[in-house]
Amino acid sequence: MAKLKNWIIHNPDLAFAILLAVCVYSYFAITNDLFFTHRTSYAIMERFAVLGLVGLALTLCIIAGEIDLSIGSNAALAAVIVVRFTDSLGAGTAALIAMAVATVVGLIQGYFIAYLRIRAIVLTVGTLMLLRGVALFAAEEKTVMLTDFTVPDFISEKMFVYFSPASLLVIGVFVIVGLFMNYTRYGREIYAIGGARKEALASGIDLKRPMIIVFAISGFCAGLGGVIIGLRSGTAQALGLQYLLLAGTVAAFIGGVSILGGRGGVIGAAIGTLTVNFLNTGLVFNVTPAFMVQLYLGVLLMVVIIFQTGSQIFDTYQRRQQILGDVDRMRDELLARKREVEI
Amino acid sequence: MNTDIAVGQTAPNTPGWLARLVDRYSWLVVILVALFLVTFFYGMVTAPNFLTLFNFKTIIRDAALVGIMAVGLTFVTLSGNFFLLSMKETAALAIIAFATAMSQGYGFELAFLFTMAVAVIAGGLQGILIGLGGNPIVVTLGAAGLFFGVASWWSDNLVVSFRRPHGAEWLGSGSFLGLPNITVAFIIIAVVAELVLRYTNFGRQVYLIGANRAAGKATGHENFSMAIKTCIIASACSAFVAIAFSAQVSSAHVNYFSSSFGSSGDMTILVIATVMVAGNSIMGGFGSSLRSSLGAVFISTVDNMMVLHGFNSGPRVLAVGLMIVFSIIVFALVRRGSRVQE
Repeated sequence: MAKLKNWIIHNPDLAFAILLAVCVYSYFAITNDLFFTHRTSYAIMERFAVLGLVGLALTLCIIAGEIDLSIGSNAALAAVIVVRFTDSLGAGTAALIAMAVATVVGLIQGYFIAYLRIRAIVLTVGTLMLLRGVALFAAEEKTVMLTDFTVPDFISEKMFVYFSPASLLVIGVFVIVGLFMNYTRYGREIYAIGGARKEALASGIDLKRPMIIVFAISGFCAGLGGVIIGLRSGTAQALGLQYLLLAGTVAAFIGGVSILGGRGGVIGAAIGTLTVNFLNTGLVFNVTPAFMVQLYLGVLLMVVIIFQTGSQIFDTYQRRQQILGDVDRMRDELLARKREVEI
Repeated sequence: MNTDIAVGQTAPNTPGWLARLVDRYSWLVVILVALFLVTFFYGMVTAPNFLTLFNFKTIIRDAALVGIMAVGLTFVTLSGNFFLLSMKETAALAIIAFATAMSQGYGFELAFLFTMAVAVIAGGLQGILIGLGGNPIVVTLGAAGLFFGVASWWSDNLVVSFRRPHGAEWLGSGSFLGLPNITVAFIIIAVVAELVLRYTNFGRQVYLIGANRAAGKATGHENFSMAIKTCIIASACSAFVAIAFSAQVSSAHVNYFSSSFGSSGDMTILVIATVMVAGNSIMGGFGSSLRSSLGAVFISTVDNMMVLHGFNSGPRVLAVGLMIVFSIIVFALVRRGSRVQE
């Protein structure tokens, strides 16, 4: 028990995320009989496969102190590519091409952000539009469709009650990225450039390497997410998937990242995504229209931001009070010494 | 691809203008700009019916809606608060508010005031959060979801229409001196915004806070009130665009400004693109609303040219995207090392 308390004190964000996830899950489990079943859990894991990747990508970006706005467009491009080429090249090759394209796009973005020393939001707004154009071009402004539906059947086939090949693959990605972020030098560099960029650069980290790695991972995740969506539904639209950005950001923030960078982690991303999925799925069970889900997500994001901003303001206030107190104390000491000298 | 600015080595014999340009900026910038200019003029000359007065009017008319929003967003960008990702959602909320008021028969003036009130509340809400220190991108991303949800819920996701004749027709389809009224409104708003930014106390404060927030704070110009004011201006411009659009089509739906409605890209991104293509510094303090208005006209010119050449929406979105990325790279390289960049 003492151990648990200690853990909570050291990981308040994660503890809060888990608490929130449990609350959301139990709320829907209590109010809806169908929610607490094997099938629903399977459906949640299926959603997790896509949203988890986006949440993971955005978590990494925000840890590095940046945000990747082009993630929806990148995923849409990957979805269009994979659906378009599956019939002629086979699903495996098409998926590889789509993921390679998405990764390279992310890599180039990361390179330019580090090379030009600009904020990622500036460039990624541009690439958002650019990639949308490329996707429209690749899809010839139509909704592309699969003709052969054996692949969609395969990737959402049930395994081990709750999982499908897609969600197992995504869990694998989570484990690898988590190990990478926590136990390799490159991963720690990403935390460093997010939490304290000036100090990190001064201590000899080259901004290019972590930035390229973050955006390459982000591109890869977007690509894989797009491939899974494309193959599972069998269709892809060039202008679709824009909702991923909001949902992914909410997931990342629930998972405990700070907009100032350097905080949060892969476990948080997983829990944040699960919370969003519980909410999504639960609302679907209660027959809520899609725009209401967006409304709830928006409100959730605003609430998290208010909390974070509030704690920032509180921190600044406390630091200021401490400085004022120190100054007062030092003045008193000096005055006392002056009095001694005078006597 | 050496892009470092060569350090002041002027050759003994004075270099030609090209060499000086390359010296001042870099190979990459000069090549990109030259490439662009060649394409642009080639397209302009070869496009059928491009160089006519009628087509020029069309270009300005197309630029008007995006331009008005971009002028509003320029205030936010100049004050160092990046940009609002909720422009189109604010417009969606406003268009529903306006159409609902009109269909209830309140008349144009009341509906206009009501819509503006909604926009001020929406803008003020975001402004407060941003002013308190919330990241503008994340705050407005959340606000976007919220506004869109509220607008959809309010209209039940249906088309709200109001019958002609109505009091807003003069704004939607009327014209003045041969120019459509929306174009006239765009020109007026652009001029007024530029005058405000240049010659009023408020305008100079916007620049000050954007250029150096610490100095602004030290001299008593807090970002808190500035963020609220600029967000309200941007929201009001969005609402005005929504009203003008609604007056034109006599109806409203939340998706009128989204990509799913069939426009070539969603409005928010197009507006942000306009502000950035014009070369306003995204970190604030450098730029002007005149730049943004010209940026809108420029994007509209390129779009118009491509339409005249018979391109589909894919290449057109691609071209706008390329222009944004291109201008970001060029401006970043040109300003490399200057304070505007950091």
